[in-house]
Amino acid sequence: MDKFAEAFGYLFSLDRELVQIIGVTLKMSFFSTLISCLLGFPMGAAIAAKKFKGRRTAKRILSTLTGLPPVVAGLIVYMLFTRYGPFGSLNVLFTVKAMVIAQVILITPIVASLSSAVIEGNCRTIRETAIGMGLDGKKTFALYLTENRTALFSVLLTAFGRSIAEVGAVSIVGGNIQWKTRVMTTAIMLETNKGNFSFALALGIILLIIALIINIGASLISGEEPCDD
Amino acid sequence: MIKALNLKKTYGEKTVLELDELCVSDGEALVIVGPNGSGKSTLLKILAGVIEPTQGSVEGVEGLRYVPQQSYAFKRTVLENCMLSAEGSRKEKQRKSLEILERLGLSELADKKATGLSGGEKQRLAIARALVEPCRLLLLDEPTASADVEAAELIEDTLAQYKKATSCTIIMTTHSPKAAMGIADRVLIMNKGRRAELGTPEQVLRAPESAWAKSFIAGWSLDEN
Repeated sequence: MDKFAEAFGYLFSLDRELVQIIGVTLKMSFFSTLISCLLGFPMGAAIAAKKFKGRRTAKRILSTLTGLPPVVAGLIVYMLFTRYGPFGSLNVLFTVKAMVIAQVILITPIVASLSSAVIEGNCRTIRETAIGMGLDGKKTFALYLTENRTALFSVLLTAFGRSIAEVGAVSIVGGNIQWKTRVMTTAIMLETNKGNFSFALALGIILLIIALIINIGASLISGEEPCDD
Repeated sequence: MIKALNLKKTYGEKTVLELDELCVSDGEALVIVGPNGSGKSTLLKILAGVIEPTQGSVEGVEGLRYVPQQSYAFKRTVLENCMLSAEGSRKEKQRKSLEILERLGLSELADKKATGLSGGEKQRLAIARALVEPCRLLLLDEPTASADVEAAELIEDTLAQYKKATSCTIIMTTHSPKAAMGIADRVLIMNKGRRAELGTPEQVLRAPESAWAKSFIAGWSLDEN
């Protein structure tokens, strides 16, 4: 119980380091979700609605990548951006940028795969209607996204949830550097190893509160209603 | 002129459409009738480019508007739905949309969410979206199928007026003799994916050549027109 009291002490005292860690976490999660959705939504729509050679293969690759272990994604980004790697000169390793890149590699296939499944449900009808209205390809493509906006918003929240809870890849490419790349998950891991359970618990509580806010937001926006009459 | 040559559509072993030649002149209204499964909708979908034929070709399809049998309403208001296919400035789109919605008896629902419309209202909305801008070819798949008597009359009158006012080519499938007689320059009767009869409404509906077409027409009350 003492540890809980201490944890809440950290929360209410707005500990400087705690606030900084939350800030880095939210920044990383926001940008990785934004980029993943900007890439993943059109990708998902194209796979769901467009006929092209290799569509089935693309779908399989995407499904496989949804199960990509975070540490592998971290390793790939590490190898690409390490000093002697192909993009070493960019000096992004052990920065938030590297963490965002690793997250984008992890999350984009999930966003594309889920949005593809969502759009597949009504893309034929939308396409047929759009042809009937004389709409061009661009407008039809936009309709695939706008007509499924509620479900796609849930996909976005799933991506954000995945991003904020990620630990493996971000610790490899971010290095868990204090005041720089330390995020909630890597901080929890470190503080637990150090035996500083109250600080780890405070971070865990914040992580749960953010998850709760995300879920409330999701159900409010999707207009979730019970099934029983 | 729209020209369909050697059209064939098969699903696995089953041939659902087999049409050697079909020509429709500019400004002509062709009404296609036939029992369920006779290939009417398949023919329209091929002409609209929604599905590819297994064999054959279609020429001269430009500037088309197509109203499918199952109408889909976008998750917007009725007015916004209609404005999607209108052209010009926002004000112009709004004016044109309200005009066609008024003609089809939907103006009171303009600000309502289109997803909440009934099947018949959705169908009228789909027709409104198709007619909001002038087109060269109008394809209608059973436009009065989900409409009640009053709405069906409204649709038929609107289409008849539209035909008179524009030089648009119309190809329409229907089960309604009134609609067929009211708008058609020619009537095509289809059976099992093939052409059974083709000619003017008088020729085809009043004095069909084949015995099958005679028996098909027999159930229709042609004098209600």
